[in-house]
Amino acid sequence: MLLVKTLHSSTFKLALLCIAIFGLILFAFLVYILDTSTNFGAAQSDAVLNGDLQILRETYEELGQEGLTGKINRNANDPRVGQGLFLLTDANYRPVAGSLAEWPLSLPREPQGTGEFELVSDGAESRIFRAQWTALAGGVHLLAATEITDLRQFQRRMAYAFSFAALFIVIVGAASGVIVTRRTVGRIEGINAASRAIMESDLQKRIPVHGDSDEWDQLAANLNSMLDRIEFLMQEVKQVGDSIAHDLRTPLTRMRARLERASLRPRNAKDDQALLASTIVDLDDVLRMFRALTRISQIEASTQANMLRTLDLSLVAREVAELFDAAAEERGSRLEIDGNEPIEILGDRDLLFDAISNLVDNAIKHGRTSGLVRISADACENGAVLMVSDDGPGVPANECDLIFKRFYRSEKSRCTPGNGLGLSIVAAVARVHGANVKLSSNEPGLTVELQFPPSTPSQKSAQF
Amino acid sequence: MQSLRRILLVEDDPELSAEIADFLATEGYQIDQALTGDEGLRLGRTNPYAVMLIDRMLPGLDGLSVIRRLRGEGNDAPALIISALGEVDERVRGLRAGGDDYLTKPFALSELSARVEALARRSSTIVKETILRAGDLELDLVSRAATRAGKAIKLLPREFKLLEYLVRNQGKVVPRSMLLQNVWDLHFDPTTNIIDVYVGRLRRKVDGEDAYPLIHTVRGIGFCLRAPG
Repeated sequence: MLLVKTLHSSTFKLALLCIAIFGLILFAFLVYILDTSTNFGAAQSDAVLNGDLQILRETYEELGQEGLTGKINRNANDPRVGQGLFLLTDANYRPVAGSLAEWPLSLPREPQGTGEFELVSDGAESRIFRAQWTALAGGVHLLAATEITDLRQFQRRMAYAFSFAALFIVIVGAASGVIVTRRTVGRIEGINAASRAIMESDLQKRIPVHGDSDEWDQLAANLNSMLDRIEFLMQEVKQVGDSIAHDLRTPLTRMRARLERASLRPRNAKDDQALLASTIVDLDDVLRMFRALTRISQIEASTQANMLRTLDLSLVAREVAELFDAAAEERGSRLEIDGNEPIEILGDRDLLFDAISNLVDNAIKHGRTSGLVRISADACENGAVLMVSDDGPGVPANECDLIFKRFYRSEKSRCTPGNGLGLSIVAAVARVHGANVKLSSNEPGLTVELQFPPSTPSQKSAQF
Repeated sequence: MQSLRRILLVEDDPELSAEIADFLATEGYQIDQALTGDEGLRLGRTNPYAVMLIDRMLPGLDGLSVIRRLRGEGNDAPALIISALGEVDERVRGLRAGGDDYLTKPFALSELSARVEALARRSSTIVKETILRAGDLELDLVSRAATRAGKAIKLLPREFKLLEYLVRNQGKVVPRSMLLQNVWDLHFDPTTNIIDVYVGRLRRKVDGEDAYPLIHTVRGIGFCLRAPG
């Protein structure tokens, strides 16, 4: 099954194509080497033969046929001349002198030329010679030849060796192609199998990570973090569902009871008026909570990139501070803002305003009466930081994570107005902006930091 | 001017449509109701309207397409988009299609009426005054100075803008969301009562102790600046 998949996989086809191209190039290269070395050997022999013929021609011109015959015979018996063969024939190519018994059959009977012939002797391997011949004055023909058996053998061995090497490389290439492809297909199959299992039922399952942090592991890790996010959102949905059930049912039940009782009572214009007014107010509270909830999911689902513009974070912070000045005054608290320098970040003004408002609102409500709430916006190397701090009782360390949960309200704050959604909005807005939310102690009090990433020029130009 | 009080309402839910029509009729508008986008488009093409109320999601031709088509034909009657979709992305999309204002369901009828009123006024005359008055309150728009019975009131720039907006709409109920939109340029409904606190401080500055109250809170909706008499 895996093998079939391997052979059908695109990776394997690609590998085959690469091997074919590589093999062709290798083959051409080897042919070129062989061809060059053959030519080189022939040229060398030709130069030697040419020299020999030249010397013999001069001998013939000086000493005539007698002298040449003598020289050829001397050469034939001289061991120093080695593998050189000479032949002098008459005009009809009949031997006159030399170490060859006859004009080689494979050579054409022409006045001059170059060629190769084979000498077969009994009981020994055939020998290959390269010959050059020329016609001399008086109609005689002179032929000189040198043995090239070793050269030919060398070339043949080279050709064998090259062929084996090429074959070996292609086989190894194909084999490693199969192995690599198999591995790839195996990993993909693993991811596919895990995905199928997850789709079928089990959202808790994860794609196996092999731990060698290669690109497959990275893919698996990315898919896994996607799954984490999906699982997180699913849990959120469930949790929100529960919270809605809890926090919305109570006021709705209250309203229903009130209306039911009123419907059983005799009509009284004044009572009815009061009943309607208070029911509308209650209903508005429910709707507001509902709206805040849907807003959080919208923020989380919003198509981030095209919503964000370059804006001045410190200006937004100052606007929020100005809006909340009256609220702080009402609690006898002071609201201070640091930072007048414009700080450019990529953001959505409405969302940032909403988030910072919630932080400042919390700081004023949960801070000390007649306390100090500080807002600051600072640019730093890796982006910008917005900080809101109060000097109230702070948040115990074990509640730090919880306070970002929807509808979470600490025991102490149950009696203050609010619906427990403020920090969820902050968290959602932070996520849209790629910002980190950090809680720390202001000793005393709570400091909330929003750490924004730097706005890159490429993102800026992506605005519409 | 009678025709300018005429309103087109395109809403596919008959009951909600009837409620809206009834409410606006008591405010003195004449309402043409359409239950589908195509019907709305036909009415929008044939009659001059002071304001068009168009639901975002309609059977057949959707609300945004209706507005886009009418705009393409040179119809510039102010359009208020009513939508059950959220405000985060949808508002921008609606305004880009040619809508002038955006209201998310569920809404208070009084808020709808306030927004219709604001749009209807925009489509009629815009008077360029330099001094606004409400009772003994006077706003000088050039020097940005406010006086109450001749006594200067010290206001922050934003407070002046808020007061100016209330005075311009005096006698009418201004929902909180409209204040946020027009004074702060914010398009969301804060979960806190911050606007009430802010208006509360403005009221203390403007109304003081000895003067008669000008700024009134309308419970559950917003505020109203009203001079007696």
